Amino acid sequence: MHHVLLDRWSQGASPLHRRDARAKILTLLVFLVVLATTPANAVAVLMTYAGLLTAAILIAGLPLGSVLLRAMAVLPFSLTFGLISWLAGEPLRALALVEKSYLSTVAVLLLAGVTPLPLLLGGLEKLGTPRLLVLVAQFLYRYLFVLSEQAQHMRLAASCREGAGRRRRSNYRAATGALAVLFARSYERAEGIHRAMLARGFTGRFSLLHASRFGAGDGAFLLIISTFLILVRWG
Amino acid sequence: MTTPLIEVRDLHFQYEDGTRALEGVNFTLYPGETVALLGANGSGKTTFVLQLNGVLRGQGSITVCGLPLTNETLPQIRSKIGMVFQDSDEQLFMPTVLDDVAFGPLNQGVPEEEAIAKAKLALERAGLTQVWNKAPYHLSAGEKRRVALAGVLAMEPEILVLDEPTTFLDPPAERNLLHLLADLPQAKLIVTHNVRLAASLASRAVFFEKGKLVASGTVDEIARRFDWTYADLPPADLRYSAHRRF
Repeated sequence: MHHVLLDRWSQGASPLHRRDARAKILTLLVFLVVLATTPANAVAVLMTYAGLLTAAILIAGLPLGSVLLRAMAVLPFSLTFGLISWLAGEPLRALALVEKSYLSTVAVLLLAGVTPLPLLLGGLEKLGTPRLLVLVAQFLYRYLFVLSEQAQHMRLAASCREGAGRRRRSNYRAATGALAVLFARSYERAEGIHRAMLARGFTGRFSLLHASRFGAGDGAFLLIISTFLILVRWG
Repeated sequence: MTTPLIEVRDLHFQYEDGTRALEGVNFTLYPGETVALLGANGSGKTTFVLQLNGVLRGQGSITVCGLPLTNETLPQIRSKIGMVFQDSDEQLFMPTVLDDVAFGPLNQGVPEEEAIAKAKLALERAGLTQVWNKAPYHLSAGEKRRVALAGVLAMEPEILVLDEPTTFLDPPAERNLLHLLADLPQAKLIVTHNVRLAASLASRAVFFEKGKLVASGTVDEIARRFDWTYADLPPADLRYSAHRRF
C-alpha cells in the first residue's frame, strides 16, 4: 500500500472526510467489536457489514475497486490461518476468519482514506493513546517518504551498474547491502532530526496545532452508525 | 565598543570515535555582520556552528548575546540563534507546514494563537502563503528550504546560522533565496562552499582547515589565498568536450 495514495484519498471533502477524527475512530472501534463478536454462521449479518462499508466508500468518493483490491493485502495472512482452521475440521470458522479480517482491513483503509494522518493521530491522542506511540507513528509516516525515496535512488544506482547478466546471488547480496546502508542512513537521519529539534528549543514535549472540534454532527454520526451496527448484530 | 553577538574562545571538540573536529577556535560575530564559513569537507565548519547553540558541547567558552553557554542558558540561547540545516528534510519533521513553523514558538512557550500568527507571518516573509496546510513532503526543494527558514524566523532570532543553504536548489530557487536572505536584518553565519553566495551576502569570511580557524578576511581575500575559486580554470575547461578522454 503506497502511503501517497492514502494521503491523496484523505484530502477529499465528503461528509465522511468532514467528521471529527475521534468520531470516526470510535465508530471504527464499535464496528471492529461488533464484527469480531458476530457468529461465523451469520452470513446475512456479515453481508450487511459489507454493504455498509461499500456504501461508506462510495459516499466518501473513494475508488471502490482500488480500496477492495488493496485490502487484499491481508489475505495471505488470514488465508494461512484459515487454512489451518480448515484442516483442523472447522471450515465455517475458516471462512469467517478470512471474511472478518478482510472486512476489518477495508474498514481501517476507509478510516485512513477519509482522515488525513495528522488529524487521525491528533484524534488518537485526544482519545488517550500514549503520546509516545503517536509520535512514533507520526515520524514513521513523515520519514517513510524520505526513506522510500532513498531506497528508490539506491535501487536505481544498483540497476545502472547491474550489467547485462543478472545473477540472482549477487543481486541478493547487493539488496542486503543496500538494506544495511539504508538502515545506517536512517540512523544518521534520526540524529540529524534530533539536532534540528533541539536547535528549535525542543525539550521533550510536542505541541500540535489542531483546531478540530467534536461537534453535535460528529456525536450524531457516532450514535447513528453505532446503533445501526449494534441492531444488525444483536437486533 | 560594540558588544559581540557571538564570542568563542579556545574551543576544542572531539567526537566519540576520537576524531578531533575543532582545535582552539576563536571567533567573534558582531551585530549586523554576515560571515561566510569556508573550508573543505570535514574541516569542522558544521561542527563549529552546532557548538553555538549547544547541540554539540566542546571545551572552551562560548558567549551568545552576552549569555555564557551553560545548561541554564540553553533555552534562551536557542531562541537567539536560528539554525537552518543543510538537509531540509531533517528540519521539517511535523505533519504540516504550519505545525512545523509553529514548532519553535510553541517550544518558546508562546500561546497557540500567537504561535500560529507568528508562523503565518514567517511564512509570508519567506514568500510562502499557499502551503500552510500542505505536508512537507509535497514541497519542492526550494519551498522546503524556505519553510525551514520560516521555521527559524518564527522564533525571531537575533542570529541566523545557515548550513549550505543553496544545496539541492536550482538556479532560480537559489536566486530567490539569496534575495530573501539579503533582506533579513539578522546577523548571519553562512557555512558554504559556494563562493558566489558568500561574496553576495557576506561582509567577512573565515577559513577552516583541519578543525582550526586559520584565516579571516574579506571573501575575496580568503578565496584567493586558499584557491577557493574557479577563476583560474579557463572557460574551455569548464565546457563539456566530446573529445575529452578520462
